[in-house]
Amino acid sequence: MKDEHDAGTAEAGKTPDPITVSGPGGLVVPAGVVLRRTPLRALAGAARGDLLATAGAVLLAAIVLAALLAPWIAPYPEDGGTATHPAQALLSPGAGHWFGTDQVGRDILSRILFGARTSLFIAVAVLALAAAVGVTLGVVAGYAGGWVRDVIMRVTDVFLAFPALLLSLALAVVLQPSVATVVVAIAVTWWPWYARLTAAVAQSVSARGYVDAARCLGVPAPVIVFRHVLPNSVTPVTVQLSLDAGGVILTAAALSYLGLGAHEPTAEWGLMVQQGQSLFTTDWWVVTFPGLAILVTAFSFNVLGEGLRAALDPRGRSR
Amino acid sequence: MRRQRRLLAIGTAAALALVAACGGGQVRGSGDRSPGAAPSGAAGGGAVDTTFVYAPNLDVVTDWDPASSYSNEIIAMQNIYESLTKFNIQTQKVEPRLATAWTASGDAKKWTFTLRENVKFHTGKPLDAEAAKAAIERTKEEGAGAAYIWDSVKSIKAKDAKTLEFKLKYPAPLDLLASADFAAYIYDTTAAGSGDLKKWFAEGKDAGSGPYTVDTWQKGKEVELSLKAFDGYWGGWQGTKYKRVEFRVTPELTTAAQLVQRGEVGFAPRLNPQLFAQAEAQGAQTEQAASFQNLLALFNTQHGPLKDVRLRKAVQKAIDYDGLVAALKGAGAAASGLVPQGLFGHVPGRAQKQDLAGAEALLKEAGHGPGGKPLKLTMTYAQGDADQQLLATLLSSTLSKLNVTLEAKPLQWSTQWDQAKSGDTAKRQDIFVMYWYPDYADAYSWFVNVFRSSAKPSFNLTYLKDDKFDEAVDKLTELAAVDKDAALKSYADLQTRLIDELAVVAVPYVVNYQRVLAQGVSGYVDNPAYPNVVFVYDLTPGA
Amino acid sequence: MPRYLTRRLGQAVLVVAGVVGLTFAVMRLVPGDPAVAFAGPRATEAELAAARARFGLDDPLWTQLWNYARDLARGDWGVSLHTKQPVAQDLALAFPASLELVGAAMIVAVAAGVPLGVLAARFKAGLPDFSVRLTSMLAVSLPVFWLALVVQTVFAGNLGWFPVAGEYDNSLDVTSPLRVYTNITIVDALITGNWPIFTSTLWHLVLPALVVAAYPAGVIAQMTRAALIEESGQDHARLARALGFGRIAVLTRFALRPAAGPVLSLIALVFAYAIVNGFLVEAVFNWPGVGRYAADAIRSLDTPAIAGVTLLVALLYVAANLAVDLLQGLVDPRVRGR
Repeated sequence: MKDEHDAGTAEAGKTPDPITVSGPGGLVVPAGVVLRRTPLRALAGAARGDLLATAGAVLLAAIVLAALLAPWIAPYPEDGGTATHPAQALLSPGAGHWFGTDQVGRDILSRILFGARTSLFIAVAVLALAAAVGVTLGVVAGYAGGWVRDVIMRVTDVFLAFPALLLSLALAVVLQPSVATVVVAIAVTWWPWYARLTAAVAQSVSARGYVDAARCLGVPAPVIVFRHVLPNSVTPVTVQLSLDAGGVILTAAALSYLGLGAHEPTAEWGLMVQQGQSLFTTDWWVVTFPGLAILVTAFSFNVLGEGLRAALDPRGRSR
Repeated sequence: MRRQRRLLAIGTAAALALVAACGGGQVRGSGDRSPGAAPSGAAGGGAVDTTFVYAPNLDVVTDWDPASSYSNEIIAMQNIYESLTKFNIQTQKVEPRLATAWTASGDAKKWTFTLRENVKFHTGKPLDAEAAKAAIERTKEEGAGAAYIWDSVKSIKAKDAKTLEFKLKYPAPLDLLASADFAAYIYDTTAAGSGDLKKWFAEGKDAGSGPYTVDTWQKGKEVELSLKAFDGYWGGWQGTKYKRVEFRVTPELTTAAQLVQRGEVGFAPRLNPQLFAQAEAQGAQTEQAASFQNLLALFNTQHGPLKDVRLRKAVQKAIDYDGLVAALKGAGAAASGLVPQGLFGHVPGRAQKQDLAGAEALLKEAGHGPGGKPLKLTMTYAQGDADQQLLATLLSSTLSKLNVTLEAKPLQWSTQWDQAKSGDTAKRQDIFVMYWYPDYADAYSWFVNVFRSSAKPSFNLTYLKDDKFDEAVDKLTELAAVDKDAALKSYADLQTRLIDELAVVAVPYVVNYQRVLAQGVSGYVDNPAYPNVVFVYDLTPGA
Repeated sequence: MPRYLTRRLGQAVLVVAGVVGLTFAVMRLVPGDPAVAFAGPRATEAELAAARARFGLDDPLWTQLWNYARDLARGDWGVSLHTKQPVAQDLALAFPASLELVGAAMIVAVAAGVPLGVLAARFKAGLPDFSVRLTSMLAVSLPVFWLALVVQTVFAGNLGWFPVAGEYDNSLDVTSPLRVYTNITIVDALITGNWPIFTSTLWHLVLPALVVAAYPAGVIAQMTRAALIEESGQDHARLARALGFGRIAVLTRFALRPAAGPVLSLIALVFAYAIVNGFLVEAVFNWPGVGRYAADAIRSLDTPAIAGVTLLVALLYVAANLAVDLLQGLVDPRVRGR
């Protein structure tokens, strides 16, 4: 029934909420809302009114900065990579090591900073891949309509029947565990959301008068798509991306925690939690800080995305 | 509306009551456990059956056949089956078990064992000399696992119901061999009647004579295995004893530690050094002891990149031996050669050191290393083992510096082992990590089981085929019986060959046992000759 | 309605076919010999040949897929490499435990999420609203495996208030054996009046259920809030407010009912996610459900078991979706029309 919602909901006026739960971080995007507001302006708007979204944006900026500058700001940059110092294993947090050291003596703060790189890389790679595939198929579906649309939508139905973590888990088991596997496995489960979103936008746009007119005037299909359909998809897709990033980070961390993702000596938060798990009751810092890092990062993506969504909602219903 | 609802509620309640009253349904678990059954021989009287819970971090049973069993199930098997003799590590003496006395001829080529009387198998059949002879002969014939302990035996004769006579091909300490941790079990070979005995065992049945017998076995369940007291046990059930044993698989060490602390679990064989110290501080019973168990990293000599001896040597040199022992914080000691200290065959002064420059040079020579071709190695180790995980972390970090990617995978033991024995050589790992311990108080098993070639791999997971080595190993037992000094020299030479020349193995450390017991459990004595085994019958439950 | 029903059912059948096909495809991706993947690496030549024959691995892919689907329909889901038992049987034993855990968690989530959402909507833009939004956002951002560890260590380990792991005290199997009808321990204990096991299970449920509940509670609070704010902007709610009903009364009496549709459908969807989230929690708390089964399967590279778990949860998810849609179609004629 979901696809019925997709069809030109912007015009439909009152709709029963088109709930698109997406991924573990799954929040809600008003599918098919066509807007002219840009995400950037929306961000500014969000910042004015919404403390949470602002906090999210600030936190996120700090995390991105930390990831980019990790080699320079980490107290022991070599610990983010291949160094080990077994003699200094499990030092508690203190002046030398703010977050303590792990079971082979690596500075946990440094590994968390480097871990931010891994997590953000995974999030960006997954979303880029998923959006590229999803938007392309979505535009094709929405613009072509008819059986092409039906086939693509049925395929997304199938993929959406698997909770993201589950399908990625199955894929990660049959493939070799690595960061690349995680990216592919999660992207495979995430693209349908973008396909559906874009298809809805594309369909509502191509039903409009000016697009009809352009088509009658003989403007080639690719031009119409590029001029009219894609620009209209940018905003909803961006909002969806920011909402999904948190979910992707949580899923990736869960896969690494299960031993299906990054492996040593890569600094990755989920892996750090798993490796330190048996030390939790005796050396709390080994597990606590990586877990907090996942929480804060997912949180800042989620509140930012939610703020964007709210700011872009024409009816402002959740503000 | 309201009334309807109430009626509905009454109806439902009535239906439920009916269902409950009618009986039907199944009782969880498959064993015979009618709660009314009185504990037999209950001198204590009145008390409910006390259960001893053992918390291993891995699955327990891989092979139920006492002839071929050669793995983690020892912790259960030693409570179900018995051998003729038992080795006491404290006194370094062989003690009676199923045999009450034994004598050897002057040349140690003829041995006579006197069996205990009135011993019954769990199947009900009496354990006499004929039955013991049949069991040993079947084990010898199966030739699996530790069956080599009977290699010296030429013939067995049941002189009468309680006298068993062995004739040997060459002199051997048969009383010691008969105390081995595996393959020395005496069992009822007729248990399956005309059926296939191996299949019969595989269903989770037992034919032992020990104090406990299998009650339930469900692989993959949290309580994988439970044992119940065998009423007809020759030792009797006087005094307070545990009447049930449960093996509760607990992959998480923290969970295991907390369960012992709360008394829900009686024994955790291995935590990590931190949890061990914590348990000690919080007043749990702890036992720490040097062991004959060491960790082995076996390199795949037949397939994959480690076919190249230079790369094997490079990995050997990349291991941070000192760092590992430091990080183990007392749970492990530096290894010197393949044979742990205290065993015949141990060679002092052969501890290895990390040598990064040497490793890099060797990698370079083979075209790898920094600036060379990237190299990818796979390593498998035991799920839930914090110490092996340390090795994985340290080694992968070091190798990563040298442009070598190490994919270290923690697996269930049976999976790790099955994969290593896979007929498809491409499925096998490059590095196999496992513990090894002797089958009796002697170093022989390291050589014959782990490194001697065999047509089908079992534990020789370096897949080494070296005729000269095999030849020397085959002479070892006889040599040990005839010329101790020559045997010692042979052991030393073989270790040089394996570690330095062929570089098929690295020995990261020797384990120090760190056991944690719940309060109230008394009578536990660690016996490294039967690694990780708790002889539950010998324990006394607390108040 | 019948037309809508047939169309929706037809769609569900298509999706199920796709799910089976996709699971098949994923499992055939296994590098190396699929016969080895299904018979286990230690399989003998004879066993491999048997596996090949059984799965028709030499047949064309289409035939294999057809056979696979046929076996599934017959209840033959393959044999687990780890437990050596039929996967369908393993799942039948493990699934009720998961259902128990996630069911308890959903009760907690609804009980916490809906009132919080109402509260936030009542004091929209005020401090309660802000706190609820903050809390619910934190709840959906928590890495659930980490939360499980923290909760277990603090409340079971350090404080000792709750049991550490497991579904109930195992020794009760001896002292008061449980008769099973539904295989859902707590239900069976209740209907047979087995109070020792009932209380023990309840006690063991608290911590894992709270952890699993965190994510759905957050989502439900957010959704309730959003739906209520939207509904209270509608004319009928404004009218009620003008007629002198209090704010809370308007929200609960007039807005909550129409908002119930979307919230209900959300709950059903979140339920399926909670099952997967529960996987990670089960592994930590040693809960004998599908999640622990999956975690064991991962550690033993048990391909048939993984395939079984994947399929089971996907089918469940499709069924939940279908149920929600049909229910909504029944309640709200507008859905049928479009």
